[in-house]
Amino acid sequence: MTLDNLLKTRADLEERIRKLIGRAAMIIELDLFALPCGCSGYTANTRGLALDDLEVFEEHFLKLLNESAQAVNISTGFVFARIIPGTQEIAALNVRELCPRCYSDFASTRGKRPRPDIYIFHLARRKR
Amino acid sequence: MKKKLYVPHPGHYEGLEQLLADSNNIYSIYMAGSPDYIGTGRVNLGHANLEEIARHTQCCHGKGVKIEMVLNSSCMGGQQLTPEGYNILHWYLSNLEDIGVDTVVVADPYLVEMLDQEFNIPSVVSVLAFVDSPQKAEFYEQLGASSIVVDSNVNRHFDVLEAIRDAVDCELKLLVNEGCLYRCPFRYAHFNFFSHVNGPPPRPNVQDDYYYNKCLTLRIRDPSLIIRSPFIRPEDLSEYAHITDVFKIGGRSHLLNWILNCVDAYASERYDGNLMDLMDCPKDLVDLFNIPNRALDGAIRQWKQHSTVCHTCGYCQRLAEKVTQVYNRMGTPDEKLEQWITLTNKGIDTL
Repeated sequence: MTLDNLLKTRADLEERIRKLIGRAAMIIELDLFALPCGCSGYTANTRGLALDDLEVFEEHFLKLLNESAQAVNISTGFVFARIIPGTQEIAALNVRELCPRCYSDFASTRGKRPRPDIYIFHLARRKR
Repeated sequence: MKKKLYVPHPGHYEGLEQLLADSNNIYSIYMAGSPDYIGTGRVNLGHANLEEIARHTQCCHGKGVKIEMVLNSSCMGGQQLTPEGYNILHWYLSNLEDIGVDTVVVADPYLVEMLDQEFNIPSVVSVLAFVDSPQKAEFYEQLGASSIVVDSNVNRHFDVLEAIRDAVDCELKLLVNEGCLYRCPFRYAHFNFFSHVNGPPPRPNVQDDYYYNKCLTLRIRDPSLIIRSPFIRPEDLSEYAHITDVFKIGGRSHLLNWILNCVDAYASERYDGNLMDLMDCPKDLVDLFNIPNRALDGAIRQWKQHSTVCHTCGYCQRLAEKVTQVYNRMGTPDEKLEQWITLTNKGIDTL
């Protein structure tokens, strides 16, 4: 993983989203993160994306996010979007490897919208 | 054209020294004070306490530059009308008077009157008081204002600007590069939100600024909203000579080089780069759009006699389609620009 690779991944993701939705959109920041709880992953902060885009092109977004996660060596256990609650505005797209505690929090919920600010594309269920 | 430029403080003392050393074109610096006493309507890079304000004032005056304090909260939650609120405001303004700041910008008529009645500091009516008519301008002048920053929504309504000029004798100031949406529907809610975030506690703990995100989304989808925004290009300042010679450059959340670039552009009345370089807000779009500033040469002639009904006029829409370019693969070796209209005409590609 190099910085050039991260820059290329940001540009790739932005370019492919624009082609997918047929208009401009921005990835204003792509961050790799590691949290004290043990979660790690990446966050792509977006502007110009709407919840409708995700709902219409869900499988395409999932494919894009899986591929960009692979490009930066992030495993894709949990893929989701963060929404400004009560709106169409997508604040970020996220790929995250959940720690056991956070996994149990999300695994115990149902549906795509376990919280007003989260839209789940994919959650890999673990064996008990 | 001879003019007075009001320029944002870069947020720290060293930056101020460098700004004043690097430019001879600054008439006045403006800055916010401590948010613990009176809020301000915008984000700032620094929160100066009274000792620091005194130091900054000395620095400006030493260079022959004036200093303006911006206390333009658009909402104080009614605290300003309580006895405690009055005492705090009075104490703070007394300190600013003792320090010797040149002017104070306020958005609340109550503070305009208080400054007039109880202090010897000229008051400036903020752009956040939304003075967009001769009637409002007369009201504020009669209340004691020495200067009015005209609502930027009417920056291209020359009939209104001329009527305001005729109605009052006080100074008029035009904010040249705010870059907000024309007749922005978020304006009141957003500035009230900012006023609480940048004002006395309790401050809201907010993860996402809905108004800002939505504003960006609208423009990303339709860059003609950028062209319609009532900015004043450096090349067009002279068109306003019969209204005023006082211009304010927005940009309190920007770094020194950005401020200097704007000062140079507006001082020389020419800028050959991307229009987005000069816009205070929304600054994220400089990484998406390239709108060559000189491609807008002459547009002022249309704007001076324009219809305010955009959907029947369509001039800005056509201009945006002609001149707007989008950065693609920015930050990589294969970065390139393409016409915005080409991107949108391509349609959907589901990979």
